Amino acid sequence: MARPHIEPFVDRDVTFKNMPLPGFGRGMHYKMLSMDTDTGACTMTVQLDGGYRQTPGFSWSEWEMIVIEGELQVDGRTVRKGHYFYVPAGYAMPAIESAQGALVLMMYNTGEPSLVETTEHHPLAQTDLYHDVDSYLDIAWAPGNVVRPAVATGILIKLLNYNPISHAMTFLYCMSPACYQDNISYHDCAEESYHLWGTSWMMQFGEIPTGGYFWRPAYINHGAFASEFGCIALGRVDSKLFNHFHYNPWSTPKQNQRRAAARVYQRDPLLYKWMVSYSHNHPHGPEDFEQTQAVRGPDHPHNEPTTDGHKQSHWHTHKHHHHSHD
Amino acid sequence: MTFKNLFIDHERSSEEEQWVREELAEQEQRFAKIDQQMHDLAPTRAKWYEEFFDRISVRGFNADGDQKVKIKRENLPAKPQDREDQVIWKYGVDSDDNG
Repeated sequence: MARPHIEPFVDRDVTFKNMPLPGFGRGMHYKMLSMDTDTGACTMTVQLDGGYRQTPGFSWSEWEMIVIEGELQVDGRTVRKGHYFYVPAGYAMPAIESAQGALVLMMYNTGEPSLVETTEHHPLAQTDLYHDVDSYLDIAWAPGNVVRPAVATGILIKLLNYNPISHAMTFLYCMSPACYQDNISYHDCAEESYHLWGTSWMMQFGEIPTGGYFWRPAYINHGAFASEFGCIALGRVDSKLFNHFHYNPWSTPKQNQRRAAARVYQRDPLLYKWMVSYSHNHPHGPEDFEQTQAVRGPDHPHNEPTTDGHKQSHWHTHKHHHHSHD
Repeated sequence: MTFKNLFIDHERSSEEEQWVREELAEQEQRFAKIDQQMHDLAPTRAKWYEEFFDRISVRGFNADGDQKVKIKRENLPAKPQDREDQVIWKYGVDSDDNG
């Protein structure tokens, strides 16, 4: 059944537990924020003791991490608060150490936390997807109007990770002091947030302070929104983020879902008709030929003719129609 | 979570199975506590709803970004009489029994 609706939850209200799973070593403590009941995928606040060392290795699950406080030493670099990592499943990370201790947020997306000690990537690892960045210093804040309808001007984002197929995103967002957005929103996707600093307010759930967290399944009302003194948070969505705004606080998830479908019908009637009327509504979606099409494979002969990019056969090979102007 | 669907199939050890079971049991307790807290917030929330209705009819509803539309009071939604207000839905649409 995926992850349940956990909103709001403040990690400051509970104590850390020792991480007992093999591979993670001594000195790792965690607070569980939410867990997928099917897969064990989870999000945790993690405290690493001073002197902590995690051996090189990979996880069976893809995972993400952001440093909340303190410093980590990774592959000869020292990374500080705001540093974000996206690590594909099977990607062998070098040793992760913390000389003075650190507080981090760890998100295992497709399975329970795991660490297989090795310096070699798993053969199935999509290693080119790995990236890390100092999100505080090396990414600028951008307006939150990357999607329309958009959030109010006082809400800004920094995009950290984006899936071009599902449109899932990981991002930092902030609300400026005295930020207000007077609407109720819901999405077609699950949404998660962890308050790195500051307090915000939502009409259904009250205030979420530093260390505040939510995991919200799709189609659940949230908002109006406000922040008196500002806040910064890490947010995630598991597929395309579309803001369905309205002002009825009593609508239910099913009503919201039906409205979302009605809007697809209003916007893309031909597609809607094909999907519904012809029973092409398989739960895993119809075939995407780009993902299943036959490909030439490595033994196929190289294209002939070739091009260096500057000359194309379709340029200047046809006969021009010459005529004179008066 | 779909994300990039990156998962490499493997056998979960008995130790990992046990850990997941314990965490899920604790999550049930965590959920129940939140559910109760949000139930207890209902009277305050009802006041917040009325303040919201007042703001969107006087100052405007954020239709898109900072674009505000004033909602006439007669067009504000009426509270359903056949059910209590609910803001926590354990598994979203799968927990909605309202038809």
